[in-house]
Amino acid sequence: MKGLTQFITDLRNSKDHDEETKKINLEITNIRDKFKTSLNGYQKKKYVCKLIYVYLLGNTEINDFGLKESFDLLRSSVYSEKQLGYLAVSILLNSKRHKPLKDHMNFVVDTLHSDLVRDLQSTNEEFNCLAIQFIASTFSITGTKAFTVYDTDRNADKWLDLIDMTYAAATSPVQQPIVKRKAAITLKVLLEIYPDVILKNSNWIPRLLKLVDDPDIGTAISSIPLLQLVLHLKPQFAISIVPSISQKLYNIIIEGKCPASYYYYNSPAPWLIVKLFQLMEQLFLLTNKDDNQIISISSLDEQTVTYLRQTVARSIQNASQPIKGIPNRNSQSSILFQAVSLAVFLEASTEAINGAMNALLILLNSNETNTRYLSLDALIKLTARSNSTYLSSKDKFDEILPLMLLLLRDRDISVRRKSLDLLYTICTFSNYTTIISKLLDYFPTADFTLKSELAIKIAHLAEKFATDSTWYVTTMLKLLSIGGGSNSNDSNYMGNEVWERIVQIIVNNEDLQKKTAKLIINLVKRSLNRTPQGKAPAPPLSESLIKVAAFVLGEYGDQVIDIEDLNTANQFQLLYEAYFKVSLITRAMILSTFLKFIVNFPDEPFIPDIVDLFEIETQSIDLEIQTRAYEYLKLVTIEPSFKLAQSVIKKNFPIFNTQKESPLMDRLGSVKEIVGRNRSRSVVLAKNINKIDAINEESENPFESESIALSPNWYAGYHRMLHYDAGIFYEDQLIKITYRVIKEAHNITIKFTVINNSYKTVGTQISGFTVLNLESLTKSQDPNYTLHIKSLPEASIYDKTTMEIEVKVRNIVENNESPVLSMTFMCGGSFNHLNLKIPVLLLKTLAPTVLNNTDEFAKRWTQIGDALGIDKGEHKTRIMLAHRYTSSNVSRLLSRVGFAVVFESPEAPDALIRVAGAGIIHTQKSNYGVLISIAGVDQVGRELEITVRCTGGGLAEIVCSTLSEIFSGKL
Amino acid sequence: MAIHFLLILNRQGKTRLVKWFNNTYTTQTKQQYIQEIHRLINSRDSKHQSNFVEFYQNKLVYRRYAGLYFVCLVDLNDSELSYLESLHFLVEILDDYFNNVCEVDLVFNFYKLYFIIDELYLGGEIQQISKSKILNRLAVLDKLD
Repeated sequence: MKGLTQFITDLRNSKDHDEETKKINLEITNIRDKFKTSLNGYQKKKYVCKLIYVYLLGNTEINDFGLKESFDLLRSSVYSEKQLGYLAVSILLNSKRHKPLKDHMNFVVDTLHSDLVRDLQSTNEEFNCLAIQFIASTFSITGTKAFTVYDTDRNADKWLDLIDMTYAAATSPVQQPIVKRKAAITLKVLLEIYPDVILKNSNWIPRLLKLVDDPDIGTAISSIPLLQLVLHLKPQFAISIVPSISQKLYNIIIEGKCPASYYYYNSPAPWLIVKLFQLMEQLFLLTNKDDNQIISISSLDEQTVTYLRQTVARSIQNASQPIKGIPNRNSQSSILFQAVSLAVFLEASTEAINGAMNALLILLNSNETNTRYLSLDALIKLTARSNSTYLSSKDKFDEILPLMLLLLRDRDISVRRKSLDLLYTICTFSNYTTIISKLLDYFPTADFTLKSELAIKIAHLAEKFATDSTWYVTTMLKLLSIGGGSNSNDSNYMGNEVWERIVQIIVNNEDLQKKTAKLIINLVKRSLNRTPQGKAPAPPLSESLIKVAAFVLGEYGDQVIDIEDLNTANQFQLLYEAYFKVSLITRAMILSTFLKFIVNFPDEPFIPDIVDLFEIETQSIDLEIQTRAYEYLKLVTIEPSFKLAQSVIKKNFPIFNTQKESPLMDRLGSVKEIVGRNRSRSVVLAKNINKIDAINEESENPFESESIALSPNWYAGYHRMLHYDAGIFYEDQLIKITYRVIKEAHNITIKFTVINNSYKTVGTQISGFTVLNLESLTKSQDPNYTLHIKSLPEASIYDKTTMEIEVKVRNIVENNESPVLSMTFMCGGSFNHLNLKIPVLLLKTLAPTVLNNTDEFAKRWTQIGDALGIDKGEHKTRIMLAHRYTSSNVSRLLSRVGFAVVFESPEAPDALIRVAGAGIIHTQKSNYGVLISIAGVDQVGRELEITVRCTGGGLAEIVCSTLSEIFSGKL
Repeated sequence: MAIHFLLILNRQGKTRLVKWFNNTYTTQTKQQYIQEIHRLINSRDSKHQSNFVEFYQNKLVYRRYAGLYFVCLVDLNDSELSYLESLHFLVEILDDYFNNVCEVDLVFNFYKLYFIIDELYLGGEIQQISKSKILNRLAVLDKLD
């Protein structure tokens, strides 16, 4: 656009700001006139572009026109016009923001809703892209939670429209990668402001999780933020994605499978690797509402863990080789630091972690500032997350301390800050005195901006580790006197939290009060330059110190008056002298202290001085001082013996109800965020022990609100597995799943083979085969059985793949507790989801027990009856059969499910069936004997009576109902 | 874990591009941030100081190319080097697209920069990491009418 270039050149040639303003105003008038005439697309583009330029130069007040023309462009069917139209609208609308954020966003949605919908529905992919990009650019709040849309909002439906369409664009099998990729990010932007869409509905999640499997690397990296958000909102789906992540990492890092166009110099897709490691780390950090980790190494299958460990190890190894060129080196290092950060969660051995730490310690000596900075960062993460005490151990600590102190004085404040964080992180009971005294030494020379953080960290460490109260008080008062701010305009390095916290602790610990009073009098003396000659010059008067002194002397000054130097008159003199050197807010505190003096020591000679001070200060220009002075003056003068004042001052200061967590914690700064899930794990577990009862009452099943809809035709396979130990579990046109059950006492292993049927029928491959969930329906605390996926199926199935599930029966399993295996896969562009129930039943642990003859059977039968009584030990049921049974049929069925057949009536026409069997049910806690007797009710073998006796109370009923389901095919 | 904004400044503090991925800032905050960032990184010495510095509970990752600073603001716990290289990646794209890019290219093609950014990042997230694919796509878009 020539006119635009000319205009910009012209502006750049201006001699001064005034000339530029003149030229701009001229052009603005020109554009205004032009807009009144009819313009073609090119002209509109040119003038709107000039307008944006003027606007971006900082002339933001010019926004009263041009919006209409921008909308004309946006609605054009010419790509370049539409493209510029979207840009102009987004910039100009933004300038109209005078309202609160949410109102502004709603205004934008209202204004653009129909245009966006039209372009999202367009068959032109580029128009889709423009609309999607506009949404992402305009509504992203990058995790700040600055506003949220709810279903009840006036225009929630408009937001939902956009979300629905973006979701469709991201998941449609026919969509181009470019649209998918943009839509995936945009969907994340929208869900961030409208999380209820995911919170109230899990249906979308399985399909969204598939995005990371997309062979297009751009789509995979674009989907990661979306997955981070979705899994953060619904952590119960997290585990299903881990195999995909580890496979993807394995493919790129170990197998080197990465298209050439995605190499950055010599590194294959470094950003994707970093993002995948990050995602993995975040998944390990996810917790449920009881603060327990959702994913741990033990909950993952072996292959996934192996892949993750291999990729981490290889990444560390890759980075430790000499690498040429900054882009390569930075890429490898970015992967290295992310890998180190993940390693902790992979249960790396202590030696491995110590080894990594030693490697990082060497890097601390690097000449490159970036390396020092990043190594410190990695050491902080490693130490905090692995609860490692390596750096705090005596020898290591002595070795690294000089280096740490050197880094505290590094030329770069970013490094200084990180080394402070590391010292804070490695502080323990064994080294806190050293660390704190070094930090106190460092304080006076620290940067102004670091001081407040430093003070809080010292205070927090002292509070956390101090065992000796004298040490604590001395240290804290020292901190206050060197760091408490020194001028009367109340600018202060130290937040009020620090001195307030000290006061809280003194109030709550009686043994500290006298000690503190003594110490603080001497410190204030020193600060006021009353030091004996020859001693080191005192630090400047500290505001925070005087504040604490005012409080402590007012409350506890009376405890030290028997010591000559510290009598009340001296205390008064000190505060009186300090009064005129401190800020107004501190003066107000001292006034209150003086009132306390009057009440506590009404006969002291200095009392008239206080009353005089009150009187003078009634003229103060500061409202707070004036108010206090006036009130206190009245309190002590209205009534001669200070009775009134006495009633105002409480005798004993009430104990603070200290919160569980020190308020200092909120001010710790970046180190708190980095540490994330940290050292308090043992505390968390202890907390849970007390909660078990409560948990049992409310089921912990994350799916409770959304009962799982089982796939059609699930029942045939389930029923088959009830009594056959091998067979077909599920089959449809695309897929066939066969199984084999291996029983070993209370351990049951189920081996599945997943066969690709679609290859025969439609000739396509199955991809992205994932076990989304294996949802145990037993209670989560002290479960009746546990599940573990020992090996996962391969994601891509050409022919077939296998998977293995281990079940451990711990206790009596009820019949309604069977787990649901939830799987998703893609086939020929279509998304498929299977929910199949697996019978995990008590009967599955049945093993035959050999009884010699029917007499022994009868003897045991009576024994159970006698021991438990008929109502607990026996259960009887009658079942109607779909087809005829003979005694040998019944006998075969019993031996198939695990009974030893003790008696079988000979087969003869019209004879009643009678079969008896015996077995043992195994659980981890106990074994139970089971006896069964089946008798035909009619001669044709269409109705049976089953009687079960069992050595465990209530067990007979469970076994009986399972058997009746096996016989009749229905519960 | 996203980029909050991307900023290209010259050494005199003139903004050559700013893309706010975080839409919650007010106009005043934006201006204040740009000024503070210029003051902050202009005062840092590139030889002895890192490319990262904390800024309002987040951190700036930046790099100087001739007279221009390329700066982005990311979360405290996000990967510094990853974004540092991403800035370099952007510079390489600009360099190829403008055929030896210089500051004036950015001035005259200010609107095109937004279209380029839209192919690399979206909503503060990394969208595409293949240089050849981005350049091909930009070429296709330029031909569209």
